[in-house]
Amino acid sequence: MALLRAALLGPARLRGGGIPWSVLRFYSSASAKEKARRNAVCERTELLEVLKARVKQLQTTNIPEVTINKVELAPLQGEGHQGLLQKTVSAGTAVEHLVPRQSSSWTEKLKKEMYIRQMKVEKKLSIAASRTLEGQAKVKRKIKVKAKVRAKVKTKTKSKKSQKSPKATAATSRNQSHAAPSSASKPRVEKMKQDLKAQKPQCVPEDRNSNHHKTMQQTIQCNLECFLYLQQPEEAQKLLLLYHSNPMRRKLLSVDAYNVVMRGWARKGCLHRVIHVLSMLESVGFQPNLDSYTVLLECMTQSQSSTKAIWRCVQQLKKEGFHVDDLFQKCLFEGNEKEMVLKAIRIIQPDYQLPPPPKPEICKSALLKNFYSKKKVVSYPKLNFTVQELRERFQQQLEMELSSTITIESVESTKPLTPQAIKARQQLAAFRSQWRDAILQALQESKDKMSQAKMMSRHSLIYPYLCVLPDEEYVDIMMQVLNTLSPQGESLAVLARELGSKVYNRYLVQRKLQSCQLKKVQEIYESYIHLLAKDSQPSEYLPREYWEKLVAEAGYGPSLNLKDCSWPYVILMRLGMYLLEIMVHAVKVPRNTLKPHLQPKLIPVLYHIYSFRSSWQVGLIKPHPIFSQIVSDAAETMLTFNSSAIPMLCPPVPWTSPRFGAFVLNETKLMRFVDGAIQHQQLLDQCPQVNLHPVLDALNQLGSCAWKINQPVLDIIISIFNDKGNEKLDIPPPVSEAPKPPVVPSSSSALHKSLKHELLLCKKKAAEMHSLRMDALYKLSIANYVRDKVFWFPHNMDFRGRTYPCPPYFNHLGNDVTRAILLFAEGRPLGPKGLDWLKIHLINLTGLKKKNALQERLDYANEIMEEILDSADHPLTGRKWWMNTDEPWQVLACCMEIAKASRSPDPAAFISHFPVHQDGSCNGLQHYAALGRDLIGAISVNLMPCNVPQDVYSVVAQQVEEFRKKDAEEGLKIAQVLEGFIGRKVVKQTVMTVVYGVTRYGGRLQMEKRLKEIEFPEEYIWEASHYLVRQVFNGIKEMFSATRDIQNWLTESAKLIAQSGRTVEWVTPLGLPIVQPYYRIRSTVLTCGLQSLSVKSSSNSNQRPDTVKQKNAFPPNFIHSLDSTHMMLTALHCLRQGLTFVSVHDCYWTHALTVDIMNQICRQQFVALHSQEILEDLSKFMLKNYCSPGKESRTFWQQKLMEQLSDVPKTGKFNLNKVIDSTYFFS
Amino acid sequence: MRAGRALPGAAGCGRLLAAGLRPLLGERGPCWAAARRAAGWWPSPELRVPQAAEAERLVPQTGGRCGRFIVCPQLARTVQRCLQAGSGPQHVVLECAPGPGVLTRTLLNAGVRVVALESHPAFLSKLQSLENSLDGQLKVIYGDFFRLDPLVTGAVKPPAVCSDKLFEAMGIAPVPWRADIPVKIFGIFPQQKERSKLWRLLFILYECSSIYRYGRVELNIFISEKEYKVLTAKPGEMRTYQALSVLWQVGCDIQLLHMEPWSSFLTNFKNGRLAIPRSTLLPNDHLCLVRLTPQENLFTGGLKPANSATFIFMVKQCLTKPRSKLIDRLNSWSLGNAGKLLKALEIPKYVETGNVYPEDYKRLFCALQNSSVFAESWFHDEVLESIRNINL
Repeated sequence: MALLRAALLGPARLRGGGIPWSVLRFYSSASAKEKARRNAVCERTELLEVLKARVKQLQTTNIPEVTINKVELAPLQGEGHQGLLQKTVSAGTAVEHLVPRQSSSWTEKLKKEMYIRQMKVEKKLSIAASRTLEGQAKVKRKIKVKAKVRAKVKTKTKSKKSQKSPKATAATSRNQSHAAPSSASKPRVEKMKQDLKAQKPQCVPEDRNSNHHKTMQQTIQCNLECFLYLQQPEEAQKLLLLYHSNPMRRKLLSVDAYNVVMRGWARKGCLHRVIHVLSMLESVGFQPNLDSYTVLLECMTQSQSSTKAIWRCVQQLKKEGFHVDDLFQKCLFEGNEKEMVLKAIRIIQPDYQLPPPPKPEICKSALLKNFYSKKKVVSYPKLNFTVQELRERFQQQLEMELSSTITIESVESTKPLTPQAIKARQQLAAFRSQWRDAILQALQESKDKMSQAKMMSRHSLIYPYLCVLPDEEYVDIMMQVLNTLSPQGESLAVLARELGSKVYNRYLVQRKLQSCQLKKVQEIYESYIHLLAKDSQPSEYLPREYWEKLVAEAGYGPSLNLKDCSWPYVILMRLGMYLLEIMVHAVKVPRNTLKPHLQPKLIPVLYHIYSFRSSWQVGLIKPHPIFSQIVSDAAETMLTFNSSAIPMLCPPVPWTSPRFGAFVLNETKLMRFVDGAIQHQQLLDQCPQVNLHPVLDALNQLGSCAWKINQPVLDIIISIFNDKGNEKLDIPPPVSEAPKPPVVPSSSSALHKSLKHELLLCKKKAAEMHSLRMDALYKLSIANYVRDKVFWFPHNMDFRGRTYPCPPYFNHLGNDVTRAILLFAEGRPLGPKGLDWLKIHLINLTGLKKKNALQERLDYANEIMEEILDSADHPLTGRKWWMNTDEPWQVLACCMEIAKASRSPDPAAFISHFPVHQDGSCNGLQHYAALGRDLIGAISVNLMPCNVPQDVYSVVAQQVEEFRKKDAEEGLKIAQVLEGFIGRKVVKQTVMTVVYGVTRYGGRLQMEKRLKEIEFPEEYIWEASHYLVRQVFNGIKEMFSATRDIQNWLTESAKLIAQSGRTVEWVTPLGLPIVQPYYRIRSTVLTCGLQSLSVKSSSNSNQRPDTVKQKNAFPPNFIHSLDSTHMMLTALHCLRQGLTFVSVHDCYWTHALTVDIMNQICRQQFVALHSQEILEDLSKFMLKNYCSPGKESRTFWQQKLMEQLSDVPKTGKFNLNKVIDSTYFFS
Repeated sequence: MRAGRALPGAAGCGRLLAAGLRPLLGERGPCWAAARRAAGWWPSPELRVPQAAEAERLVPQTGGRCGRFIVCPQLARTVQRCLQAGSGPQHVVLECAPGPGVLTRTLLNAGVRVVALESHPAFLSKLQSLENSLDGQLKVIYGDFFRLDPLVTGAVKPPAVCSDKLFEAMGIAPVPWRADIPVKIFGIFPQQKERSKLWRLLFILYECSSIYRYGRVELNIFISEKEYKVLTAKPGEMRTYQALSVLWQVGCDIQLLHMEPWSSFLTNFKNGRLAIPRSTLLPNDHLCLVRLTPQENLFTGGLKPANSATFIFMVKQCLTKPRSKLIDRLNSWSLGNAGKLLKALEIPKYVETGNVYPEDYKRLFCALQNSSVFAESWFHDEVLESIRNINL
């Protein structure tokens, strides 16, 4: 007995968990096999044979363990076998005698049996208790054993006090027969284990990396998290077992999956469950990781385990090579987990102190040495708000985000209500409440059905996701989607995605609440406000640094980040499809709603049809015209948006990591990417966080700009919008203004082809107008909602680092109309040159004097001052000069500003909120010309100081014209025909897009369009466009010789990289890692009720790259990564100079007062950026990345790739420093 | 060398006597000849039909439309017999893209009046010289049958042709639908976009526009075997029974005249391959000469050229997912009492759409049409849209 115990506890003691989880090592793999034979009676008898043999083997025993094993089988064997069992019980043998004699595998087996028994005992007690006397005797023995097991485990004494009857929880899903035949399949288990070991090295890696595998893994993890959230550890364990028990499926599990289940049990304080899962984990050869230990420690504190147990656990942790400090530095805690773990540690080390927060690292980029050096510290600019005010605004924002959506009045609400509308609204309200009930009922019924369905069936896969929110919230979401469905309908895929992600977003908010993450963010934000508020001490931190400091001080460590819990795309789609199906089936309307003479029959509101597009079909959901009619009659004036669609009402939370920043609750990605792409996030997570600091700081700087509404302009726009719109001024007219379709005689015989065509055109136009109108309505309504407020646009970026404001509808990246209604909230005096800058800005906006020098533009503005003032004073009734300009609304806003400023007693002291823009002239080519030091190119894109702005398009046009003349003289027909047609307009688009990799094919199409516009003879268009695009390419080649070389080098390198099966990656000079997310699309078909849906499978790093896209996109993406770097550098240095700065890609905005400073910084940073050895660095990086020298077998293509990558193009003779003095570089 | 020549299907051709040297159909009696003349047959011009190898040299390997040509005299004679085997007055055959003219000569020799529609300049000149050497039995027109009545607006530029012009040139006037077939057309389907060409023909058939404005024009065309299988698929063959099958079977009498291996035809594809469309599910070893004669009673029971687009739309919607229940489809369009309707039509209530007979689709449509469900505006709109997507 003692020996056995020793054998059992030997390894377990060191483990420290109290229960030897290692004993389980082979148990579960056995049970997988057993499951298959569950009900086979013949096998059971076979089993008995084995057991009998076993009993003989064991010979004599007085050890209850063995007998109990037999007893366990009793319920399964039926009455007939009772006698046999009796016999085995009486003929017990002493196992302890055997132990020393048997090989070590024997001890293993025994250990296993022990454990199984323990499990069984728990489970069977209730059954056993109701047995006969004889049975009762057995129970007693069982209890004894149970007690012994416990006692051994915990205190290693056979104390009788623990003989209280164990709880008959029996919560595990394990089948009764699971454990019983364990001994029979032992040899097989052993063999399997060996097989597994043998297979692992070869097949597992490729298996693990497959796309399907990853998706499945993510799905399982996600389902487990769901159960964790729902506090249903039983369900989680059921699911885990389902995979755990099958060697094939088990490959889909990771340590994290077990950790999630453990955490579920830990939250309920079930230590033995946690330990059980831990032993499962070990049994399949996984090592517990830090997270596993935190869970264990947390649970131990909760269940008040003995000091010894905790001590053993910590010992084990150290033995595995971890450190106690790691727990607090590397793990993400939720709720009070951290406190619990700390408590546990302090039980054994009362004086344990939390590790000091890591010292903030400082970015070492050469470009930002001055920026980050603390020598020239300027305190962070203050906002014009007190702490109290900011706190109130934060509260408002928080409330808005907590309710997920916000309903605001549309700008159309000022229109009077017609009686018809009132009636339609009543009708709609009645229908809506009916629909709501119908949907709720359908949802509940469907969920009930699902909960009874078997595990693993397709539907129950999404069942947990249907439980994470209250049913009513799902109904809310469905009603929201129904309300915004356009009369033209929407594709199933889009709707499903929308529904799915809405559920996800709400779930996320709930999770943040549940895990106390929100409380912590709130606390930090309240302190963070002090950095920004005017009535608090100046401090010399950047927002990110300050936030990090506060987090460290509060001791939250990384706990502000939630564990990654995003739902796989496939799950989102499935969930969405499921909800959509419920909507289609449940929402009905009486057929006679509009035509009372029809039968009052209920018909579905949503119908599902297919639309055929060339070779494939797209499923559409369309609302019934009855529905669309009522909605349009009701003319409802409330609009509902996601809270993330509204600009923030308080300064955004600074980005401190790729997973944290922007909105308070709404999840925002630092980098935007296509659905399912995970490479970017991986790359960001992997790269040293300090490298991201410049990018994060730049985004914070852009997001920190406070905005307000230009109310007079907004009012004028709304008045036109509510009148009849104005297409010329870009205010979309209402659909009622759409051209009326020709009247079709009701008894129409064959529709004429032309009539049909006309009908179609009308429909198309109406659909277009509807979407334009809705877009404008959203923008203006949001603007109107924030008209009296100060607001912020949090920013994120695309994968090349180009920055975008997060709110989608209304932001400064919008069209002329939206830009015209935005003003800086902060005002600055115009200063001595401010008014002039306003005037120059005005002329720039008109597009009238592009080729003139700044002074001439200013003179022109002064010349037409009368027009400007007239426009400002009588915008709609005066001479309307502003209307005939390139950007009429911004011109009008600017006119008003100039009028106010020039009429103020001292224009220099006039406080202006107006943003003045400076545009890069053909920014892409500027970067190319600088990269290649192209002299001619540099001149033509204004890198060289000149008296008048150079226009690259005209220069190219001239060049092309020269080519044409030569060809015409040589008698080329098309060149002769083209005489007099070549101009700036014709070549502009192609030149502009050449930088971004337009091909001959695309270029020709552009040319064709331009030629049609200028009424070129139609019969020559094809030939002429062909000729022209060739000449434009030649012209550019001539002027930007190095540019073409660079472009070709980039293209060729990307091609070779992609062909070698890798994706093109690089790092911007600011340290942002970039990967091109173009892969050969593999789509997965989701079979859903309504129809099957083809979904682009979530791409991962093992997918094959799409060579053509990788190749064609590399030059433009690379250039974009450079222009974004230039912008960020400018933004950061403007911040140090205390400037307000925002950007629309290559258009930089600031106050009129600071235009000159911004211009200077912009040029300095451009020079600084291009003084870096950009191409050499790129070449080095790629050589390191793609041609690692370690590889022995250097194949031909590797050689070729190496040569290509090393062959950096030569550069020209342009002196980069000239840019500093170039007036028209950005103007 | 091209694989087309080496394969056994065409191997026998070379050994044949040149057709021009043989008395054509000499074995028939004088009585038959008289009947022929009465029916408008022309006396055989006794042209020499070039042999395969010779004809091959006539096909330029570059330039012009890529296509498939008959160069084997034996195959030409088979086709000619098939063309003549049909019923009705048979004085004109419109031959599309005759190419080297092997079949043209064979037909002419058989006394058929031929209108040749050719777009390739190299062939055109040869055909024109042949035309000039004959006394009106052959008429050559520059144009491409598969670019008939282009849907783009604006002037029709050759080789696209207008059906009006074409039929005027052939001297054929429109006849009522139920009248006899006005003209026979022979052609080989271009393999690119075979499917969309079939759809296009279907649309003009149901609309009674383009060539079908002139009556029930009989098409004799070579199509790939797999498409033939689709056209003639039966309900229940879930993989092959498609909207195209239903619509063609409702619209036309489909008759298989002849099957010929792909290799018997000469191609002028640039890579010199046979360019056989890939097919995994269906056999695709042959080109099938299929006769598509529009049904005389197509426009009965409520189906009219005016509403036929709705019918096409309905069938397409049903058969996108052949395993779905017909009743579910009908209900999902909010069409009202689908169960009752099916009962009245004696169509099983829970039948899958892939199991419904073509005639039943027509009856279903007619019943729906008569109960004026389609008048509800949404269906009308969708139909218009679907026309745009397919037809424009």
